[in-house]
Amino acid sequence: MSDNELQRQWAGELADLARSGAISRREVLRKASVFGLSIPLIGAVLAACGSDDDKSADTTSASPTTAAGAGTTAGGSETTSASTSGSTPAGKGGILAVGALTPSTEVDPVIGYDAASIAIFQLTHEYLIWLNPDFTLRPQLAESWAPEEEGKRWVVSLRKGVTFSDGTPLDADTVKASYDRLLDPDSESAALSAFDGVLEAGGITVQDESTVVFDLVRPYADFPYLISANTYNTVILPKDYTAPYQDHAIGTGPFVLTSFSATDGAKFSRNETYWDTGKPGLDGVEIKFYKDPQAQVLGLQSGEVDTQVTSIISLLTPVANNPDFTIDQVNGTGVNVFTMRVDQAPFDKKNIRQAVATALDRQAINDTLSNGAAALGNDHLLAPAYPASPTDIPQREIDLDKVKELLAGESVSFKLTFEPPLKDFAVVLQEQLKQAGISVELDQRTSDEFYAGDQATDTPWLFTTANLVGWAGRAVPTQFIIPMIKSDGIWNGSKYANPALDAAADAYDATTDEAEKKKQAKIIAEAMHEDTPVIITDWSASVRPYNSKKWTGISAHPSSFVDFNDVAPV
Amino acid sequence: MGGFLLTLALTSILIFALTNVIPGDVARRILGREASQEAVNAKRAELGLDRSILVQYRSWLGGFLRGDWGKSYTKGEPVRELVLSHLGRSLELGLIAFAVVVPVALGLGLLAGLRNGTRTDRAITVLGLCGTATPEFVSGVLLLILFSVRLNWLPSSARDEYGLKGLVLPVICLVIVCVGYITRMVRASVVATLERPYVRTARLKGITTAALVRRHVLRNSLVVPVTALGVQLRYLIGGLITVELLFNYAGIGSLLLGAAQEKDLPTLQAATMVTGVVIMLTFVLTDAIYAWLDPRVRVGKAR
Repeated sequence: MSDNELQRQWAGELADLARSGAISRREVLRKASVFGLSIPLIGAVLAACGSDDDKSADTTSASPTTAAGAGTTAGGSETTSASTSGSTPAGKGGILAVGALTPSTEVDPVIGYDAASIAIFQLTHEYLIWLNPDFTLRPQLAESWAPEEEGKRWVVSLRKGVTFSDGTPLDADTVKASYDRLLDPDSESAALSAFDGVLEAGGITVQDESTVVFDLVRPYADFPYLISANTYNTVILPKDYTAPYQDHAIGTGPFVLTSFSATDGAKFSRNETYWDTGKPGLDGVEIKFYKDPQAQVLGLQSGEVDTQVTSIISLLTPVANNPDFTIDQVNGTGVNVFTMRVDQAPFDKKNIRQAVATALDRQAINDTLSNGAAALGNDHLLAPAYPASPTDIPQREIDLDKVKELLAGESVSFKLTFEPPLKDFAVVLQEQLKQAGISVELDQRTSDEFYAGDQATDTPWLFTTANLVGWAGRAVPTQFIIPMIKSDGIWNGSKYANPALDAAADAYDATTDEAEKKKQAKIIAEAMHEDTPVIITDWSASVRPYNSKKWTGISAHPSSFVDFNDVAPV
Repeated sequence: MGGFLLTLALTSILIFALTNVIPGDVARRILGREASQEAVNAKRAELGLDRSILVQYRSWLGGFLRGDWGKSYTKGEPVRELVLSHLGRSLELGLIAFAVVVPVALGLGLLAGLRNGTRTDRAITVLGLCGTATPEFVSGVLLLILFSVRLNWLPSSARDEYGLKGLVLPVICLVIVCVGYITRMVRASVVATLERPYVRTARLKGITTAALVRRHVLRNSLVVPVTALGVQLRYLIGGLITVELLFNYAGIGSLLLGAAQEKDLPTLQAATMVTGVVIMLTFVLTDAIYAWLDPRVRVGKAR
């Protein structure tokens, strides 16, 4: 598809920014992939960058080892990703064994939310667009996409000649049916929340057999992210799909499900009719469930599995010391948020919130809990991994004198509510705050209890005075900011309300102009940093260990997603 | 029989009441925290969780008695198959472990008892105590590191696909825990038997040690592991959680734990009931074997 007028205009704006040095070459590539620009147009924009900033741009990547997916060219092109990983003839690749923690919910593409479930349906099913580990977008079932009407309408052209594993061809009607299923007001999918305020039921129309049109509620320049793997429930399913997944696992993906046990794991063989000829390199994949994270690491060490879906960094030390293994690492946008109710004592006073934030030794938290792999947080939701993240807000650091000054003799104590996965974090916070004379009572609830109740009136994770909530990474910062910090946000646990921030969040989404985005991002970040409704101590890195004596082409993903298309034996 | 049924009925009420006061929201659990509140409310109605506890209990009990145990909330599979297959695996592991533990403990206990006060006796007692005192998650991890990671002789999990080979490490792990306790009991029984007047008389009459052990000591000592069976089998069925988690063995213990953590009520209720039945049957069975081995019990009852 050739570029339309709007794409050429946005490309022109990108080129101007690149020329002025405001954005890096890497960032140009990322934006070009979101806007769905064609290869020639990307080439023209890149020409404006010159070549001198290549190196500095690349150092922003935190991937110390080879990340096959990260090298993928962006844009509306047929990519030839990761050709470095060896071109094993198709079907000679053997079976990759992958460890995963036993899913805590039924595996189902429509409602699944746990990492192992997501990994399983990502092997058999595909999205319109894949999210690369460096946040660029790669066409999957969509061949190209283009904005119209200032980004309020998006036209998506589907890849031709794709069939489901039962032979049914993929067409625009099927894509529409898939999205209608998620957007139905009665839908049980978390995707409904992800599309909230952007795309509603009835917003998708079929233009022709291989073109679908998304009409949005408001202009949204980052919309392609929402129809990418980033919204993990948006895999394209057959029109007649119904749960249970294991009985109807018909997808367009690189693998087909051959056996499934809710307690043991799942086996897959390569999809012989996969549209991307020559892929996957593997004969099959075997996902093995582990009930215990320690046992999962032992399984990796003993060779029972070759890699993992999710990993706990602090458990990987024995693997890191073993030369047979490589641990790939990417900067993520996953985060544990320390929320304080600004409408309740003691956090109704800004100085108290700032005092708590200033009493924390963020580097020590990072070293203790993430082996130093995380990126430090600065109490706003613009992670360093986001291109629009402001760099000129001073990093908040531990300063016990300042804490004393802020508290002005007032003694502070509060109850911190959390669920078991964040216990270590809670204990470290309690210990650090104790040094500053702030006493914290730990209130651990079971995960069920923590998330139970009504989200509008009483659920603990949104209504306790202070709490810790873990968030999986999001590709677009406003996916955090709008639900969590905007005055009417559905997950606004701090009850913070700031009209200036609200306006900036909306303006951020509406604009395609990078300079404008950075300006709005700074307004949001400064307000959050100053008012401190939430404390962000660090942004977690995502790691994936694998046996590099046996395999190449395995990489970490900020959301722990799996893409094994380019995996091959050494 | 009446007592048996009454106990079961009370158990079912207790289980139902307890599982319903576990804090949390099943519907929210199933759909995740990011699903809309409307969807969660609808799911709760769909599962019938908005009905009164009494109505829920009646419908659950009716289903349970008819053999319709419902569908697991979190695994999407029928509960009956899930529970029975996990129970079967637990029984398999428990029985294999017991089949190893009993002869080993009998042998060691006899040896220690016959060599009462010697170095052999002390070594067996101390080693047995060490084994009992070592938690499974320590011995298990050590076994895994040695035999799976370092030597690569055995698989690091007990998945079905590995067959008996996968069971070697979990069984060793269980033997280490159980053997010390039973050995001590056998030893004590042997020592006591040897001090009995009739044994002394037999010795004076010139009986060989082998014949003494066979005719007098062994039968008395066998009673011990049978009594222990009641206690240990309960542990082997329901208390194996650590071993099951560590070796990824799909037994009833980890099924119960998972169901409790995930608030998977149909699975939790059915698994608890079934475990209860098995434990009660174990008591009946051990009483019967005990009576067969020790005539005094039979005589006492007949009176």
